[in-house]
Amino acid sequence: MMEPVLRIHNLTKHMGSLTPVKGISFNLERGSCTALLGPNGAGKTTTLRMLAGLLSPSQGEIRYGNSGETGADNQRWQKRIGYLPQYPKFYGWMSGLEYLIFSAKLSGLPGKQAKLRSLEVLEMVGLQEAANRRISGYSGGMKQRLGIAQALVHEPEMILLDEPVSALDPIGRREVMDLLDRLRGEVTILFSTHVLHDAEEVCDRMVLMVDGRIAEQGELSELRAKYRQPLLLLEVEPGEREADWLRSLPERHFIEEAEIRNRAARLVVQDMDEARAALVREMADAGIRFQRIEAGASSLEDMFMKVVGA
Amino acid sequence: MEINWGLIWPIIALQAVLAVTALVSLTKAETEQIRGPKWMWVLIILLGNILGSVAYFIGGRRAS
Amino acid sequence: MSMFWIHFKKEMLEAARSYKWIWVPAVFLLLGVMQPVMMYYLPDILMMSGDIPPEAAALITVPPPEEILASTLSQFSTIGLLVLVLSAMNTVAGERSNGTAELVLPRISSVLPMMIAKWAAMMSLLILSFVLGYAGSAYYTSQLIGTLEWGPMLGAGAFYIAWLAWIVTLVLPLGAVLRGPAAAFIALGSAAALTMLASLLPSHLQWSPGRLSAIATECLTGGDPSAWAPAVSAVCFMALSTIAATLLLKRRPLLPQA
Repeated sequence: MMEPVLRIHNLTKHMGSLTPVKGISFNLERGSCTALLGPNGAGKTTTLRMLAGLLSPSQGEIRYGNSGETGADNQRWQKRIGYLPQYPKFYGWMSGLEYLIFSAKLSGLPGKQAKLRSLEVLEMVGLQEAANRRISGYSGGMKQRLGIAQALVHEPEMILLDEPVSALDPIGRREVMDLLDRLRGEVTILFSTHVLHDAEEVCDRMVLMVDGRIAEQGELSELRAKYRQPLLLLEVEPGEREADWLRSLPERHFIEEAEIRNRAARLVVQDMDEARAALVREMADAGIRFQRIEAGASSLEDMFMKVVGA
Repeated sequence: MEINWGLIWPIIALQAVLAVTALVSLTKAETEQIRGPKWMWVLIILLGNILGSVAYFIGGRRAS
Repeated sequence: MSMFWIHFKKEMLEAARSYKWIWVPAVFLLLGVMQPVMMYYLPDILMMSGDIPPEAAALITVPPPEEILASTLSQFSTIGLLVLVLSAMNTVAGERSNGTAELVLPRISSVLPMMIAKWAAMMSLLILSFVLGYAGSAYYTSQLIGTLEWGPMLGAGAFYIAWLAWIVTLVLPLGAVLRGPAAAFIALGSAAALTMLASLLPSHLQWSPGRLSAIATECLTGGDPSAWAPAVSAVCFMALSTIAATLLLKRRPLLPQA
């Protein structure tokens, strides 16, 4: 077991009459990559802003490191966090290099080191050509990459990225995902996204937030196993008899969950062999004209859609 | 009436400096950083005297 | 201290890149220099226009040098103050409305050095602009009309700077809760209100910093006003404004909808 670098307990934020974050708890281990997954409005941005120190929690606590102290210790930790907001905004009158040097100095790097490190991260995100141009002339993708550069410039131990790939085109998205992949292991990564696929691509853990609460969290591999259930997909020809039969399906004892549409059904079953045999027999007896029968397993995607849709 | 041109010239020069600075700033800015069309600001700066340039510096540019 | 310098250099660079260091002093210099010139040539111009009977025009004379300088100050109180407040309105409000604060604030453990740097940068521009404009006005006045005494002139200048300074400083706390133009509007409005109240109820508001502009004029025209209370309260006002701005920005670093 690795040591946690961040422990969050019962974190809550009230904003006026709203409570965007309702008592969430999780830990981040050193060097791990965790996706904070959830639909828009789940409270991801508010959570990240509290972790970055922009908002103060209404209740609960955030502990950095493993020392268990808060207060002064947290202040010291602030310098070791890199934060990329969803829509990073820069001083348009500065050049990319000037902005990074300014950021690095604010985080406590001495002058010479600030410049060296700024040049290094500019190259890392592929902006070395544009280093001395004013940011006001940068494209959207360049600004996003500058945003990542500023999150890394002070060599943080942990980076918090709010929807780092949502605003990017496929090529930009690919570049950022590759960059995150390279950073894995070196820094602890927590990034929010509303796309499960992004989470599965680089992360080993996920925290699923819905409506301000944690709906599920854990290792991706464990979660995949947990939500793997036998699944039968049926598709039938259009017809009165077929439709009636589909509608009667949820009554069967071996079907745990059924999603019936006009000409198709998606069935979660207890025992695949039993269900398969019974359904095929029924279809033959009743003369159901099927188009397709498919046996498979439900995925994380199904669980995500179900939790998010509910 | 006796006019002391030695004291009047600096005023004209100063007004020119103000207008030229405004025009330089306008030309160097990206089009989307300027509120309204650029040619409109050129007219305001040239015809509006001191207040024209001041209006450009205060209201002509969008923040960042 | 080092944090202060990082922020201060950034503020100065921003002012330079947006040409503030040229245009604000230029406006003050123009206002200052044009006032004595206008007042000196006004009788001649009126005489030449011929719309006024010569007997009436003969009554219009060039005022004494002290009054010219005082009228320059009243120019600074309108256009000059407007220019200073409008050029400063986005120092804090802009960081919030543009969203640049979201990247800066997580990096710093204390907002105070940043706020003091913003204040110091504003004051640098204010003092440079005022000194240039005031000196220009005094030079032109002495060339065209007559000599001025140093003592009252310097005293008046110092009180007037204090008056400009506390008003401009108001945009810091106001900008931490409002958008730039609203902050500027309220700063100018409350300055006008305090200055007017001070002249309506002089006995009740001895300490009011709103009196400072009137005190500066009185200094020039030969009075010897007691100005310590308003000067001290102006300094307190500025310190309170800066601290309030720090606390407010820390509480609400972002605009609600952002």
